[in-house]
Amino acid sequence: MTEPVRIQEQDFSQDAEIAALKAASKRMGGIATFLGCARDFSEGRDVSEISFEAYGSMALAEMRKLREEAIKKFDLLDARIVHRVTTVQAGDNIVFIAAGAAHRGPAFDACRWMIDELKQRVPIWKKEVTPHGESWVTQHP
Amino acid sequence: MIKVLFFGPVADRVQTREMDIEYATGMTLHDITHKVGMLYPGALSIVSFIAVNQEQVHDKQTALNDNDEIAFMAKFSGG
Repeated sequence: MTEPVRIQEQDFSQDAEIAALKAASKRMGGIATFLGCARDFSEGRDVSEISFEAYGSMALAEMRKLREEAIKKFDLLDARIVHRVTTVQAGDNIVFIAAGAAHRGPAFDACRWMIDELKQRVPIWKKEVTPHGESWVTQHP
Repeated sequence: MIKVLFFGPVADRVQTREMDIEYATGMTLHDITHKVGMLYPGALSIVSFIAVNQEQVHDKQTALNDNDEIAFMAKFSGG
């Protein structure tokens, strides 16, 4: 069984993550997931690839805290957060979040809350590579 | 020794990822930010967060200990 919170270079399997989440409890009646993937267009220009950088130890600690907080706040049965830190091409997976609860409401709410909080709190940065050069992304759309 | 780390846009601006600063008794976070500001003028303007030992710190008067790790970070953009 893989760790529920991970930072890794390699791609992840949504099926494997959901299976691991479901294995946590048979009382799970609703699972909400968020998959963040790379776009080939941003701020009016083509993007050929995106590279990520993280303050690894702090990012992992913050993601673990975030999961614990979500489980308490939304009464989840389990949650998982996986973020890739590498260089990705358009269409590639970046981040996966899953929230499992007894019912769909808390699962949806928790999933949205976790990705929003991750963007605000976890020290990861993305740099977009375009035909005109590279630039760090600073906004939180 | 205090280990100072730079990431992402901040690392690009200071052209390094890590530096050591000699620890002195009574040192505060302000002493480190002042030194970094002197060494790399303009770098602090994009720093939105500072962490001491992987925890965000807002008080520049925070006392430091030998072997602390301080990170200067721009606004996050993960996800």
